[in-house]
Amino acid sequence: MTHMHIPDGVLPVWLWLLGFGIMAAAAAFCLFRLRTVDLKKKVPLLGAVSAAMLVVMSLEILPIAYHINLTVVAGILLGPALGFLAAIITNLILAFMGHGGITVIGLNTLLLGSEAVLGHTLFYLFKKRLPVFWRAAAATILTLFITTMALIGFVAISHIEPVLILHGDEPGHVHESVVTIKRFAVMVLSLGVLGWIIEAAITGYVVRFISQVKPDLLAHVLHAEKPGQSQGNEQ
Amino acid sequence: MIDVARIDHWAASGTGRFHQVSVGAKMVFVLLVVASAVLARNPYPLAIGYGVLLVVAMATGLHWTRVIVLSWYGALFALLYGLSLRGGIWTVALLMIKAITPAFAVLMLIVSTPYPRIFSLLNVFFPEILAAGLFMTYRTLFILLDMMDNFAAAIRFRGGFSPGSLYKNSANISRGIGMLLVRAVERASRLYAVMAVRGYSGSMAEKGTIRFQRQDWLPLGTGALLLLLVLVWK
Repeated sequence: MTHMHIPDGVLPVWLWLLGFGIMAAAAAFCLFRLRTVDLKKKVPLLGAVSAAMLVVMSLEILPIAYHINLTVVAGILLGPALGFLAAIITNLILAFMGHGGITVIGLNTLLLGSEAVLGHTLFYLFKKRLPVFWRAAAATILTLFITTMALIGFVAISHIEPVLILHGDEPGHVHESVVTIKRFAVMVLSLGVLGWIIEAAITGYVVRFISQVKPDLLAHVLHAEKPGQSQGNEQ
Repeated sequence: MIDVARIDHWAASGTGRFHQVSVGAKMVFVLLVVASAVLARNPYPLAIGYGVLLVVAMATGLHWTRVIVLSWYGALFALLYGLSLRGGIWTVALLMIKAITPAFAVLMLIVSTPYPRIFSLLNVFFPEILAAGLFMTYRTLFILLDMMDNFAAAIRFRGGFSPGSLYKNSANISRGIGMLLVRAVERASRLYAVMAVRGYSGSMAEKGTIRFQRQDWLPLGTGALLLLLVLVWK
């Protein structure tokens, strides 16, 4: 789970505007990459995977309040460009459900979209070196590690002093941000590892299940493997 | 996650004053409230603004009790973020009110406007694939929520959930998610075939237009009042 539930008005304006700018540029690049694809055929699949991501996000894992995103699965199933577009759709709908701020849509899309892109790329890179389950699980762990570091980076950049947020005068916090960022990073990484393992296991199971039941969905990433081979490999 | 089906029902079946306002005006209202939250350096004007929004919601017959509850969803994260800043009670109060006020405005929009009308307006600014993807996601979401409910009930009846067995639960949930995805993709393929037969050519959503009407003074006035309050009360 690497998206920010930071409310509107907390992040510096330049940061969330930059987030929207990069998101627009990335979306334009994705559309450019998809220019040869018959996109109208992909719309139902895009909608189905985006809706599945939203449904799965509603399953909260207690007691760590972690929810899986299924972005790596989305990246594997849709490919990096459509996976990024699915992240945009998911974040827009989440924002219009009051789940997270409007201003963080850009940054959140960059985080979720990069999970889809990285998940697809790593799963593809691990081809034949690992069985399907472990390939998906390893891709998920690595992806979540990288995007969590990016999340910490965003928060570190945005960690402005309370005196700047308030008009008032609350002195004494000038040197705190470095300490609190370290604490924040330790907290996120220590809780995150548990979440990554759970998400990696679920992603591995889901991808293995799909490779057994409907391997043609993964044909573009499983490559030359035949369905029978992938089933044999994964144990 | 928020109960999407119930919100959709309220949006589609309501007849209150806020339901009759144009979508464009409600979107501008949300943007004004978000701008107020961005510019606020003091929790008081936003707290008053939250009160004003509440009064408007009550007066226009929105489901204000549920809207209050749902708007506080982001407060927990704002609290944690505020505590991590170690800025004292005022920082935490400001962050929390910044979280719940725009959330309240967004909820006022979605409980009074069916999603397809919101997406139609977004269609003016977005590429076709994104607008169509939003519609298709919205349509598929309800089907999948039903399927997930059925799956959860079925797995409970069959003893698939056992407290304390993380491995067994994870494996069963994963199979459920896998099945959900496979079924969703199969339905999407069938739907595409049906749409293609009916002449689908890549465009799904009617493009909305931003047209204001007389009743729009309510959201536009409320949003402007809130922004003015924040700008004046520094």
